[in-house]
Amino acid sequence: MKAIIILDQMQAGLGGKERADTPLGGQRVAMGSADTTEKALAKNAGKLLGTFYCGTAYYTDNRELVQRKFTKMAEQMGADVVLIGPTYDYPEFAQMACELAAAFQTQTTIPAIAAIAEEKNADLIAQYKDQLTIVKAPKKGGTGLSDAVDHLAEGAALLAAGKDISEFKANYCY
Amino acid sequence: MQKKFESVLMPVATKLGNNVVLRSLRDGFLIITPLIIVTSIFLLIGNFPIPGWEKFWTGVLGPHWMEWFSSVSNSVFSFTGILSTIGIGYAYGKNRGLEAIHAAIVALVSFLILTPTSFNVGKTAVSAVQTMYVGPNGIFLGIFIAIFSVEIYRFVVRRHWTIKMPDGVPPAVSQSFDALIPSAFVILTFFLVRVLFSLTSFETAYNFIYTMLQAPLKHVGNSLPSVVLYNFLASLLWCFGINGPTITNSVWSPIFFVLTQDNLKAFQNHLPLPHIYTQPFIDIFTTYGGGGSTLSLLIVMFAVCKSKRIRELGKLAILPGIFGINEPIIFGLPVVLNPIIAIPFITVPVLNTLISGIVMTLGWVPRTNGVLLPWTTPPIISGWLATGSWTASVLQLFELILGILIYYPFVKMLDKQYLGEEAAAMKKELDIDFSQV
Repeated sequence: MKAIIILDQMQAGLGGKERADTPLGGQRVAMGSADTTEKALAKNAGKLLGTFYCGTAYYTDNRELVQRKFTKMAEQMGADVVLIGPTYDYPEFAQMACELAAAFQTQTTIPAIAAIAEEKNADLIAQYKDQLTIVKAPKKGGTGLSDAVDHLAEGAALLAAGKDISEFKANYCY
Repeated sequence: MQKKFESVLMPVATKLGNNVVLRSLRDGFLIITPLIIVTSIFLLIGNFPIPGWEKFWTGVLGPHWMEWFSSVSNSVFSFTGILSTIGIGYAYGKNRGLEAIHAAIVALVSFLILTPTSFNVGKTAVSAVQTMYVGPNGIFLGIFIAIFSVEIYRFVVRRHWTIKMPDGVPPAVSQSFDALIPSAFVILTFFLVRVLFSLTSFETAYNFIYTMLQAPLKHVGNSLPSVVLYNFLASLLWCFGINGPTITNSVWSPIFFVLTQDNLKAFQNHLPLPHIYTQPFIDIFTTYGGGGSTLSLLIVMFAVCKSKRIRELGKLAILPGIFGINEPIIFGLPVVLNPIIAIPFITVPVLNTLISGIVMTLGWVPRTNGVLLPWTTPPIISGWLATGSWTASVLQLFELILGILIYYPFVKMLDKQYLGEEAAAMKKELDIDFSQV
């Protein structure tokens, strides 16, 4: 399984809220919190192709561009699956995660999976939970992060292999 | 190993974090914290740690200028017991699904019922409330009263023992009648409590709680092992992604709050400061730049590391880090679920706590005056303002450097790992070129 992880500027290790205008970019390594997810991917025979990042404010101002660039680049790099998050309870990143996952679903054949906290994102999750695979994750500083990362990687492996995920969704997703 | 730790820690942390009483205590204290910070600044201006300060301003503003400032600080510091009762009553009511303002008022009235309202001056009985009952010494009593009064109120509300007004009665009138019977139950209960205590040798609920609970708990909490345990657990939990201080404050915040208020009162009255382990001690002398004392980590990242990712993050996060903001590091390095960084992240605050505690016990650095500085106050300045002594700034600088030395080998290990990954990626090119698509 070849995977790409998508993060916002904070999770990618590119600064805090004041750096929300960070333009889209990417590196062929695990950036920031992707390091933890990469280890979980490895347990599921996964290999990280790279990390895509984008500041949340930049994304809001350039939705179509970011969606197009990320989907095209993931296709070009030959990704089997895309993982987004964990977004914790950051609402801007959660919004970006859902919209990007939806873009992958409609514009490519690459499956996408996101991990989002319910806090501050209840309406968003209600809107996307049937359409997308959204793993339950804790809010910032909440309990259960390690499990959420494991589930994110496990779900990615199932999606990449084209397996039935209804049981996984019932157990770990919204 | 990590999973084992998690299986033990998670249930405890979740239970503590979700406990409605502990959560309400924390939220209740948070309601009055802004008032304490603002009035602390007035206290600090009145007692600024510069020789000749008081004399200078007396010459400029006249002999009463100190009173102007102390009247502001008194408005909070002499009434922390009563303010805590209102704050906790409000928070507990809200968390229990009640009308929060009703809960706060019920808690306040219950507190006043148990407060002695007369005392003797010589042979004359004076009708007044002594501030000793409503200040720091009344905080623990206030906690109990807030929780019990709101719980009794809720008990009656849940059983619908209320007076139902007919439709068409304005909501404000109807709500007032709704509160009538629940309030009556609370008031009757606290009336009986007051009568019962007057029949005992304690005479008042205040004396009972202070002697049996507040004094012993203060004694246990006001010790080096207690504070070391606090910082150890707070840092350990962060390594699992859990906001450690939120959990540990649930247990420790009432104790630290009381100890801090004791020092503030003493500072205001120019008396010797009674305690070492106050909230400012925790905030100012155990961690620098946020949980895990990450300012030391940032300096290593900024100054020594070669990996592109670490250096970039160090550069971006150093300025916020000086002001105590370490969210970009916690999630962006990351610290959470990172076994390499976990070791210094836990060790540095624990060592700082030990050193600061010992140094203050030996009297090499003065104790904190209890002034709650805004949490963004950078180290060096914060040490001086919190104690009035430059030796405190030296202690902070020493601990900051010690932190750098402890973080160094671990960050270098991470740097080496990241450098290896970056070198491997460089064979193709590290950065992904999105202009191609």
